[in-house]
Amino acid sequence: MDRLRTRWIIFSGLAIVVIVSYLITIKFKTAPSPATLKAYKYLDTLPEKSVVIFSFDHEASSLPEIQPIALAMLRHAFKNDLKIVGLSLFAEGTAIGYDLLSKTAREYDRQYGSDYIFLGFKPQYISAILGMGESIKRVFPEDYLGNMTDTMPIMLGIDSYDNIEMVVSIADGDRTVQWVEYAGARYNQKVMAGLTAAMITSYDPYLSSEQLYAVVGGLRGAAEYENLLDKRGGGSRGMLAQSAAHLYILALVIVGNIIYFRNRRRGGGG
Amino acid sequence: MDIGILVAGILTLAVFSFLYKDNPVYKAAESWLIGLSVGYALVIFWQTTIIDLLLVPLFSEGRLILIIPFLLGLMMFSRFSKKTSWLSRIPIALMIGAGAGVAIPAMLYARTLKQMSASVMPIIENGSLNIEAPVVALGVISTLAYFYFSREHKGVMGSTARLGTYFLMIFFGATFGYTVMSRMSTFIGRVDFLLTDFLHLIK
Amino acid sequence: MRTKIPLVVCLAFGVIMFAQYFSNHTIARAVYNNILEWWQIIFAFTLFVGVAAFIKNNLKSISRGKKDTPYKIVSLIGLALMPLLAIIGGTRIGSPFLWSFENMLAPMQATVFSLLAFFVASASFRGFRARTVSATILLLTALIVLIGRIPLAEMISESLPKTTFWIQSYPSMAARRAILIGIGLGSMTTALRVILGIERTYLRGE
Repeated sequence: MDRLRTRWIIFSGLAIVVIVSYLITIKFKTAPSPATLKAYKYLDTLPEKSVVIFSFDHEASSLPEIQPIALAMLRHAFKNDLKIVGLSLFAEGTAIGYDLLSKTAREYDRQYGSDYIFLGFKPQYISAILGMGESIKRVFPEDYLGNMTDTMPIMLGIDSYDNIEMVVSIADGDRTVQWVEYAGARYNQKVMAGLTAAMITSYDPYLSSEQLYAVVGGLRGAAEYENLLDKRGGGSRGMLAQSAAHLYILALVIVGNIIYFRNRRRGGGG
Repeated sequence: MDIGILVAGILTLAVFSFLYKDNPVYKAAESWLIGLSVGYALVIFWQTTIIDLLLVPLFSEGRLILIIPFLLGLMMFSRFSKKTSWLSRIPIALMIGAGAGVAIPAMLYARTLKQMSASVMPIIENGSLNIEAPVVALGVISTLAYFYFSREHKGVMGSTARLGTYFLMIFFGATFGYTVMSRMSTFIGRVDFLLTDFLHLIK
Repeated sequence: MRTKIPLVVCLAFGVIMFAQYFSNHTIARAVYNNILEWWQIIFAFTLFVGVAAFIKNNLKSISRGKKDTPYKIVSLIGLALMPLLAIIGGTRIGSPFLWSFENMLAPMQATVFSLLAFFVASASFRGFRARTVSATILLLTALIVLIGRIPLAEMISESLPKTTFWIQSYPSMAARRAILIGIGLGSMTTALRVILGIERTYLRGE
């Protein structure tokens, strides 16, 4: 079999497996991982009107995976009447964060300026994170819409991490590490994360050392959170396709190894 | 159909056409994406930093000290001339120096000491053996031994380093598993868009 | 002078930002806050330099009439479009700027990234071989994680997801922790070398 043909078969196989399994509706019950459960319980038991920062620290590239996590956590926060301060430490996270925050707030009839605010983006994440420990209003003198931050009702009485219960960093890279290492270590700020699955293992040491409070990871994490919240979303919808894709990769690895060992026995190598 | 979804659908298919082979439609979409990304970043940086943190405080509030970062920022443009390009090293030096200064305590405390102390776990917990404690200690020590190149990997050092490679393989394997999960999720997200919003095959 | 001034600036700002960690004095806090602000402003200018270089290189390429000229023109139009839309309609919800982001930039970027799913599948078939003990450990761990994190695993056996979490939380975490400690120590020494002017790669080796 030539390389190009093999490639075609593998590509077509993946497309067919994912598309067909996505068209079938099966509702899975996804048992939550300990980390997802911890994140859910924290937001669930936080007193009403507590202030939580949602930092959209990701690019548009990871949107299909990360948006269901952000949406589930935002819905939970709005449902429990928490006050949300949105911001972004990635330029692309700005439009994504503003859009998602506005649309989710509308679902729960929350008002901009009093129930939630979107501060926008600031470059140089380390200096932004450290600066917010001194004064959030100094780092963000204006919100994303150009309003003076200190005139917004939600920001009355909020000026540093002292007034923030939790930072939820929705990230596809190492931005959460900076939250942990700068806001957490220096200002004792509690941090939890919504991460792409690819980043989960990189954050395990921080989770184990309790520098990171909890993690909701990948589409599976989103499905677990949606299940806890009893609100079906992108995570739950994608679980059958996710399972099928994993089994397909598993089959490819096994077949690849069978061919390899068969060729090796014949003396042909891999 | 909503015009936005139509545009998004066509562009999505244009990018997927790369799976067939590199072609002009994909290249055009890729170039369009690059241009839009740069233009988008330009707007966001201008609006959130130059206006909010520099121009408004400097000209409306009269915070004259901001002339310093303004001039230092302009010095970055000296890179376009060979004669003056050395000037751009001054703002770069400021950023690198400040970054190094704040990094030392963060790296020492949050990354090194905290991680080291978390590696020491009680072997007996509530009267029962905590098997995880030696696993973590052994894993951390042997992996560190693998990355310690000041001594030849022979004898005890060699076997410890070899054990370290096995722990590393477990980490890489787990990371690979999760990376597959991540990539599949992204593809599923695009399939969701195409089947639900673009083609209306799912309600 | 071309080398000494940057070295002095680096030393001064490095020492100030390190020392402020240990002080809560009003002046120290004021200096610290100002430097954080300056850092952000200068950083923003670095992006503008990048954009200027991007425009310059594309225009140069177009003027030479190379084969990829149409693509360069497409890029430049895209670049000009976003600021133009922001000037005309602002950046609020419902603005043409946000519309372009939502319906052009975001879907394209997500799709480019999703192409990786196909290459990961191809790599799994071609490169994932149990050639040695190390490779076999890697392969087995990957397979356990792949099965253990799908809902099907819970139906087969409850111990499958539990095994996945155990691997992830202990042996895998231990190796990652050792890497982190190594990076931490390395970053600290590099930061010290930079402040003291021993490490000067940012001066292009001078």
